[in-house]
Amino acid sequence: MNAISTGRVFASPLARRIAAQRGLDIAQVTGSGPGGRVVKLDVENAIPPLPKAGEVSRPHPKEAGMTEGSLPAATAPAPKAAESAAAPGPDARLYFTKEAYTEIPHDSMRKSIAKRLTASKRDIPHYYLQIDCELDALMKLRADLNAKAPKDGPAAFKLSVNDFIVKACALALIRVPEVNSSWTETALLRHKHADVGVAVALDFGLITPIVAKAEGKGLADISREVKDLADRAKAKKLKPSEFEGGTFAISNLGMFGIKDFTAVINPPHAAILAVGAGEQRPVVKNGAVAQATIMTVRLSCDHRVFDGATGARWLQAFKGFIEDPLTMML
Amino acid sequence: MTQSFDTIVIGGGPGGYVAAIRCTQLGLKTAVIERENMGGICLNWGCIPTKALLRSSEIWHLLHRLKEFGFEADNPRFNFGAIIQRSRKVAAQLSNGVKFLMKKHKVTVIDGEAKFSAPGQLTVTHKGATAQATAKSIIIATGARARELPHLKADGTLIWTYREAMVAEALPKRLLVIGSGAIGIEFASFYRTLGSEVTVVEVMDRVLPVEDEEISQLAAKAFIKQGMTLMLGASVEALEPKGQTVSARIKLKDGKIENQEFDRAILAIGITGNTETLALDKAGIKTDRGHIVINEWCETGVPGHYAIGDVAGAPWLAHKAMHEGVLAAERIAGVKGLHPMDVSKIPGCTYCWPQVASVGLTEAKAKAAGHKVKVGRFPFIGNGKAIALGDSEGLVKTVFDADTGELLGAHMIGAEVTELIQGYGIARTLEATEADLMATIFPHPTLSEMMHEAVLDAYGKALHI
Ligand SMILES: Cc1cc2nc3c(=O)[nH]c(=O)nc-3n(C[C@H](O)[C@H](O)[C@H](O)COP(=O)(O)OP(=O)(O)OC[C@H]3O[C@@H](n4cnc5c(N)ncnc54)[C@H](O)[C@@H]3O)c2cc1C
Repeated sequence: MNAISTGRVFASPLARRIAAQRGLDIAQVTGSGPGGRVVKLDVENAIPPLPKAGEVSRPHPKEAGMTEGSLPAATAPAPKAAESAAAPGPDARLYFTKEAYTEIPHDSMRKSIAKRLTASKRDIPHYYLQIDCELDALMKLRADLNAKAPKDGPAAFKLSVNDFIVKACALALIRVPEVNSSWTETALLRHKHADVGVAVALDFGLITPIVAKAEGKGLADISREVKDLADRAKAKKLKPSEFEGGTFAISNLGMFGIKDFTAVINPPHAAILAVGAGEQRPVVKNGAVAQATIMTVRLSCDHRVFDGATGARWLQAFKGFIEDPLTMML
Repeated sequence: MTQSFDTIVIGGGPGGYVAAIRCTQLGLKTAVIERENMGGICLNWGCIPTKALLRSSEIWHLLHRLKEFGFEADNPRFNFGAIIQRSRKVAAQLSNGVKFLMKKHKVTVIDGEAKFSAPGQLTVTHKGATAQATAKSIIIATGARARELPHLKADGTLIWTYREAMVAEALPKRLLVIGSGAIGIEFASFYRTLGSEVTVVEVMDRVLPVEDEEISQLAAKAFIKQGMTLMLGASVEALEPKGQTVSARIKLKDGKIENQEFDRAILAIGITGNTETLALDKAGIKTDRGHIVINEWCETGVPGHYAIGDVAGAPWLAHKAMHEGVLAAERIAGVKGLHPMDVSKIPGCTYCWPQVASVGLTEAKAKAAGHKVKVGRFPFIGNGKAIALGDSEGLVKTVFDADTGELLGAHMIGAEVTELIQGYGIARTLEATEADLMATIFPHPTLSEMMHEAVLDAYGKALHI
């Protein structure tokens, strides 16, 4: 037992064991059981649980292998995640005959996605803000820069719209730092750097590798880094440190023609940006209908961390960078 | 005339009468409205009378084994009518007991059928007369009745629900039981032991489908050995009474149709809540598929209005109804430090032969919930008391969380397991780990030693196997 708790603590054996396993001083936990007894639920509520049942003795979540799943492990949000990732309601098998389906057992990535995103949707008060951005200036700058790019060798690059979005997000996060934060039960963590996760779809799931300190990186560097991370993600070669944590994430489904969608926040992030397709749409400018390339983005925000006006300021900053991309170079 | 109370409980079953007692203990002026018999289904038409019947069939079973124990008797016979009569007497005795409890705890009992006229306001109809009753809080505990389907309807003579099956006039020769949940299997067991040819049809691919799969398999093996016919993965498509028999069209697992004749059929395909005559819409209370919708505190969403027991959904068990009754009463009285209903702590028992009992998660459910598990097993054949009793078939199975040592679930089949399961229930409530269970000294020789061994086995330490 923990050296700190020398006085008699009224706690269940299971609560004591879980507290000891997770290095928690049980004397510090308020009990909700009969007569103030500390029960399992109290201990679980007092500590951020480990990423996955079955990994309890692991010293630090950062050691998690990639098979742990894509989402950040360090601060998985909710205690009962394992239970609640299980389907609410009766087992779906009850509705179908065995011949009518093939059963695909969950791999650890599927379990991890189910567990963490269920917890996120349940525990995070999400709200959503949407804005349209004109891409014409950005497309032109991108074409100009790509034309000047060396085609071979280590300095070669080919910028995508997404690379600009990563950069614009990073700068907006520095400009509106309230968004660049993490929720904890006792305090907000305001991050000093913008570590931007980029969701990458895999055949077998989804992973969010991170461009660390993206605010200080040039577009060509970001472009090369994102490409490298995505390639290695697909080959299952990422190190945990390359996909765990991060301060923000981007999910881009524009290449599938998705115009507008809502994404689920991955803690420890406080927000995620859902990026739709850039497409030519009629716009009204100075009273006349004109044509412009428009991209709709939607920010999912954790209301515990920042409120609507802050989210709106962030989107304004982001839109400013995207629509006047030279300002990103300043 | 309008009577007013702090709390009115509608329905005097185990949920309702327990809620009422707890309310008066907490100082609330309380009434129970009951339209039929105090004690509800449980005492009059459920738990208690069936257990009385099963006791008789158990004795009959033992009479066939007299020689094994060194006795001789010629020609044992039974009087079916007397068996039924005993069961009714037991029910009546307990129903009177509940009336006495109501008096003792100063609960006002109002005879009649209650119906909402508005939130907190009820109209009570009794023998054609109506009266009004109002309360600050209302607990709905109106219970449930056998479920019927458009193609499966009871007729009260050839096609029975549990009500008729419990007061049959004679032993049917060929009996069809539709549904292999606790109710279906208990009747199947009772009638089979007394000599009926029993066929059980179950849509799922195993009997007692809510139990751990291993237990279902062992139960099926025992039932088949006793001479029951089990048709699993099969469904009854049509039931047609024909004079003195019932003809059943059964769709088998492979899709083939089979027509069979029976003397009687029992519908045991679940139950449906008694919600229709309550005029719940007048109070704004919602139902879903025949049951009142509640949260984990038994709250309906309409302030001051609670629902408990069978009318509020599965598991349909008397002890769940009673626990909810206490919870709702304490919630109304503002008792501090309450814990919400935790379904995983409700034990389930089936009093067939062999008995089945369980609490918590099955092995499959524990794994599906993401637990790494340690599973322990101990067979009755390894237990001295079981052999001395002459009941050496059965199994005790435990499921632990491999990391924390939490007892996630326990599953048993065999003699007297319904009396044993509470030990694991206490362990779960107290949050004992495997270490505490291992450190407990179990008396020898008892069946309970198997509970110890099944814990030890999960950690590779079983002694007698
Ligand atoms: C054959 C059988 C065997 C069973 N065996 C077991 C067992 O072994 N163990 C176990 O735990 N459970 C068993 N059960 C289930 C158990 O009986 C129920 O779970 C339990 O009775 C539910 O209690 P309740 O208080 O919710 O409702 P009920 O017991 O159904 O009581 C409801 C009461 O409300 C009254 N009522 C209904 N509507 C109104 C109204 N509008 N106004 C006034 N009164 C009204 C009814 O007359 C009834 O008395 C068995 C059930 C059956 C059918």
